[in-house]
Amino acid sequence: MTTTPPLLEVRQVGKRFPGVRALHQVDLTLAQGEVLAVVGENGAGKSTLMKILAGVQSPDSGQILVDGRQVQLDSVSASIASGISLIHQELNLADNLQVGANIFLGREPRRFGLIDERRINIEAQAVLERVGLDVPPTRLLAELSIGRQQMVEIAKALSVKARVLIMDEPTSSLSTHETEQLFRVVKELRDSGVSVIYISHRLGEVTELADRVTVLRDGENAGELPREEISHDNLVRLMVGRDISQFYARRPHEIGEPLLEVSNLRTPTWPQHELTFSVRRGEIVGVSGLVGAGRTEMLQTLFGIDRALGGTVKVNGTRVPAASPREAISAGLALVPEDRKQHGVIVEIGVRPNIGLPGLRRNQLKLGMLNAAVERRDTQTMIEKLRIKTPTAEQIVQFLSGGNQQKVVLGKWLTLEPKVLLLDEPTRGIDVGAKQEIYGLMEALAEQGVAILFVSSEMEEILGMSDRALVMHEGRITGELARSDLSEEAVMQLATGRSDAA
Amino acid sequence: MKAKVLGILALLLVLCLFMAITSSDPWYKLTSGTFLQPNNVENLLRRTSLYGILGIGVAFVIITGGIDLSVGSIVCLSGCLLAIFLDVSYQPFDNQTVLEIRAAKQQIVVQGDAPGFHERDRIRYFGGRRARPLVATISRIKRADGVTLIEVDQPFTRDDDAGHVAKVIEVTSYEQRDEHASPPRDAMVTLAGEHPSLARRDQIVLLHPKSGLNQQVIRAVAVGQQVTRLTLDQDLGSNFSDAWVAVPLQRRQRMSIPLALATVLTIALGLGLLHGLLVTRMKLQPFVVTLCGLLFYRGISRWLVNDQPVGFGNEYVTTLSPLGRGKLVVWQWEDAGHVETFGLPYPFFILLICAFVAGVFLNKTIWGRYLLALGRNEEAARYSGINTGRITLLAYIISTVLAATGGILFALDSNQVPPSSFGNFFELYAIAAAVLGGCSLRGGEGAVIGVVIGTAVMQVLNNMIVLLRISDELEYAIIGIVILLGVLADEMIKRVAAKRRAKSLAN
Repeated sequence: MTTTPPLLEVRQVGKRFPGVRALHQVDLTLAQGEVLAVVGENGAGKSTLMKILAGVQSPDSGQILVDGRQVQLDSVSASIASGISLIHQELNLADNLQVGANIFLGREPRRFGLIDERRINIEAQAVLERVGLDVPPTRLLAELSIGRQQMVEIAKALSVKARVLIMDEPTSSLSTHETEQLFRVVKELRDSGVSVIYISHRLGEVTELADRVTVLRDGENAGELPREEISHDNLVRLMVGRDISQFYARRPHEIGEPLLEVSNLRTPTWPQHELTFSVRRGEIVGVSGLVGAGRTEMLQTLFGIDRALGGTVKVNGTRVPAASPREAISAGLALVPEDRKQHGVIVEIGVRPNIGLPGLRRNQLKLGMLNAAVERRDTQTMIEKLRIKTPTAEQIVQFLSGGNQQKVVLGKWLTLEPKVLLLDEPTRGIDVGAKQEIYGLMEALAEQGVAILFVSSEMEEILGMSDRALVMHEGRITGELARSDLSEEAVMQLATGRSDAA
Repeated sequence: MKAKVLGILALLLVLCLFMAITSSDPWYKLTSGTFLQPNNVENLLRRTSLYGILGIGVAFVIITGGIDLSVGSIVCLSGCLLAIFLDVSYQPFDNQTVLEIRAAKQQIVVQGDAPGFHERDRIRYFGGRRARPLVATISRIKRADGVTLIEVDQPFTRDDDAGHVAKVIEVTSYEQRDEHASPPRDAMVTLAGEHPSLARRDQIVLLHPKSGLNQQVIRAVAVGQQVTRLTLDQDLGSNFSDAWVAVPLQRRQRMSIPLALATVLTIALGLGLLHGLLVTRMKLQPFVVTLCGLLFYRGISRWLVNDQPVGFGNEYVTTLSPLGRGKLVVWQWEDAGHVETFGLPYPFFILLICAFVAGVFLNKTIWGRYLLALGRNEEAARYSGINTGRITLLAYIISTVLAATGGILFALDSNQVPPSSFGNFFELYAIAAAVLGGCSLRGGEGAVIGVVIGTAVMQVLNNMIVLLRISDELEYAIIGIVILLGVLADEMIKRVAAKRRAKSLAN
C-alpha cells in the first residue's frame, strides 16, 4: 500500500439505462504516469464508464476520487477542471478552423477584446511539438489527415493541462504509421507524468502500450492484469469465459443447397479484401468479429445499400445485380439493420404502415392506390405470428419496447417471404425474453428453409445460434468455424486477427 | 475560403466588363456606355449597399447552420414603424373640437372652455362631415357645463356634429417674392399680434372667403411690436391681398429622429432575440421560426398602416432622408450647361461600416470564432465549453438588427413604404447573395466580403436585365440560373480540390 492516494479512483460505480444494467459496482484505479488499458467485449460498459469520467453522463451510484478527494463530474467542464480529458472516438474538432484555433477553442487568449492570434500560434506550436506534430498552427484543420487531426485533439487536451487522458479507440481510423506515432506520443506523455486510460479492441496495442489492464465484462469488473501478465491469451480468457445459458434450443433440421452464394465480394470500405462464402437453405450462419471489422459493411453491400466494387452475389442460383436495395429485395433478400430506430423502422408512425412499407409496391392497386386491406391482413398476421405486444395495429412504434420494435422490423420483411434473411445485431438492446423469442423465430424460419446470415457482437449468440460461424477481422474473413469447432476462444482468436488459431 | 471570395470577385469583374462592353458603342469606348454612366454606377452602389447590409446579417445566421426567412418582412415592418414614429401632423394652435353645429341658429357647440376665444374674434370652422368650412366672427360666447356655445355672424350650410374651430389672424401686410430685385426678396406676410409660439417649419393656411386657400411652410419667424412677420417658402400668388386671413398650424412630430431610429432598432433586436430563443431553447427549426416571422411581420405591418402606403413626404428632406437617398459628391463637371455630379451614396458608407465591424467580429473576436466552430461542429464547440445557445442567439439578433437597418435605409431611399410589397423576396436575395459569396447552408463557412461581392453580382445581373432590354419576365429566371451555376462551379472546384488533397495525403 502506498501512502499517496492514486491520481484517479473509481469506487463501486453503477449506471442503469432503461432495461439495461450498463455498469455494476465497477472499480478502477489509475496512478500518475500510468497507461491503463480498459478492455472488454462490445457492450461491456467501457464507453459508459468513460463517459461518466468525462462528465457526459453521471453515475447512479458510487464515487469518483481525484487525488483522494471525491469529485462531482456533472459536466464536461467539471471533468476538465479535475484534469480529465476525453478524446472521442469521433473527432470533436471544427475542420473549418485552423489548427491553433481548434486547440484553443473556447479558451482563446484576448488582447484589446480581439483574439490574440500571435499568442495562440506560439502556445499551440509548443503543444504541437509536444505531441510531435510537425504542422504550423495556422494550417486549416481540414487539410490534415485523420491521424494528424487526432494528434491535434491530443494537443488540445494537453493544452488544458490534462492529467488524465482518456483515449477511446484512438487508432480505429489511423494508418499503421500514424498508429506508431500515436504510440510514441502516448509513451512520451506517460514519461512526462500524464496518465492515460486507453480503450481498444486491438489486443496487440494493449499488449504493447499498457502498464496494466482492467477487464470489464457485462458491466462488471472481470479482472485485472499487471504488465507482466498481459498477453493475448490471458486477455481473451478474461474477456469471455462465462457460461452459455440454455436458451439457444437448437433443433436439428435439414440443411439444403446453397441459397446465398457470395464470391470475391469487395466492399467500398475494405476494397482490398475479397469475401467469399455461402449460406445454405435452412442454415443459420453467424458472423462474429469486433466492432469495425467490416461485418455491417458486408451486409450493407449484399443488400445494395453500399455499391459492391467487385464480385458476385447469387440468390438461389441467379445472380443479383445488387446495385440497390430494391433489386436485392426482389431477389429475395431482406436486411434487419443494426440501428433499429434509424434504419429499421419509422418510429413516428404506426405498426401497420411500418409493416406494410416493403409490400407497398407489390400490393398496390391501380394507379398506385394503397391496398389497405392486404396491409391490414399482413399486419394482423405478423402481430399474431411474431407475438408483437401492441394494443392495436395502429400503435406508434416508438411507444413499443425495443423487443417489440425489433419484431416489427422482422415482420415487415417476413411479409415479403424472403429467401435469405440478413440480420445485423438482431438482439441489440432488447430484454432477455424478447431475445429468446427472436432466437425461436430464427430457428423457425430456418426450419421453413430460409437461409439466415446474422451479425452479432454477442459471443453467446454466435455460439448458441450458429450452424456455422464466419469470423471477420479488419475487412477479411479470417476463419470459418463449423458448429462442432465453435468455442469462445477460437472465435476470439480469429476476431483479433490470429488466423492460426482455428 | 479565400479562393471562394476570389472566385466570386472574378465573376463580378467579368460581369461588369461584359456589361461595360455590350452597352458601349463602339465597344472599346467603355465610358460611352450606359453601364458606366455615373448615375448608373451610383445606383448600383446604392442598391448593393442596401441589399448588402441585409446579406451580411443573414450570413451570420447561415454560418450557424440556420436560416432567416424573416428579413424581407422585417425590412417592411421597420420601414412602416419608422414612418409611423416619424409621422408629422399640422394642427391649428387654438384648435377646438366641435360637438354640434346648429345651422339655423348660427351656433357652434365646442368641447371645453375654449379659453382663447373671445367675442369679436374671427374663427374658422373646418373638417366637418356635412357643413362647409367657414370663416366668421364671434358675436356671442357662453361657457357652461364644460362646453362652450359660440354664436357667429355667418350662416352654416348644414347642421353637423363634427369638425374643428380655430382662431383666424388678420394679415396686416404682405410682400410678394421678387427674384429679380437685389437682393432677391422672399414672400412675406405680416400677421396682427405677437405669436411667439410660431416656429420655423410650422405651416400656415391663408384663406380668402372667395378666392380659396393657400397652405405654406414657414421658413422664418420674426416677432415684433404687435406684429409677427413670417417668411414663406413659396410665392403668395397674384390675387393675394390683405383681405386674406391666416390660420397658423403647429408642426407635431410623433418622435424625435434619434428616438425613432433607436426604437425601430430595439424592436428588431427584440424580434431577433425571440427568434433565437425559439431556436435554441424551444429547439424549433430556424426555417419554421423565421417562416412564421415572415408571415407574421408582414401581416402586422399591413395592419399597422391600414394597408395604405406610408412615407415621409418632404418632412425629412434635409435631415434624415439623405441617409438613404443622399450621396457624397466626389466629382462634378459641366455637361451641355448642366452641372452633373458623381457621388458615393451615403448607404455605401453604412455598408462599409457594417462590413468592417462584421468582418472584425467574425474573424477577430471569440464570438465570431465560436460561430464558425459551432456552425461546423456544434458538439465540438459544446465540448470545448462554449455556450452554443447564446452564440446562436446572437446571430439571430445580428440578422434582424441589420435587416431593420436595411429597412430604414430602404424606406428613406424610396420615401414611400407600401406595406404589402415593400421588402418582398428580400430574404431570398440576401440568402442568395450570402450563398454566392461563399456561405454554406450547412453552416460554418462564410466571409463578409464575399457576401458583399455576392450582393454586387446580383445587382449587376439585375442591372443587366434592364440595360440589355431583356424582358422583365425573365429577371428571376436569369438570377436563378446564375446562382445555380455559381454554386455548381464552386461545388465542382471543391470536389477537385478534395480529390487532390486526398491524393497528396495518400502519398
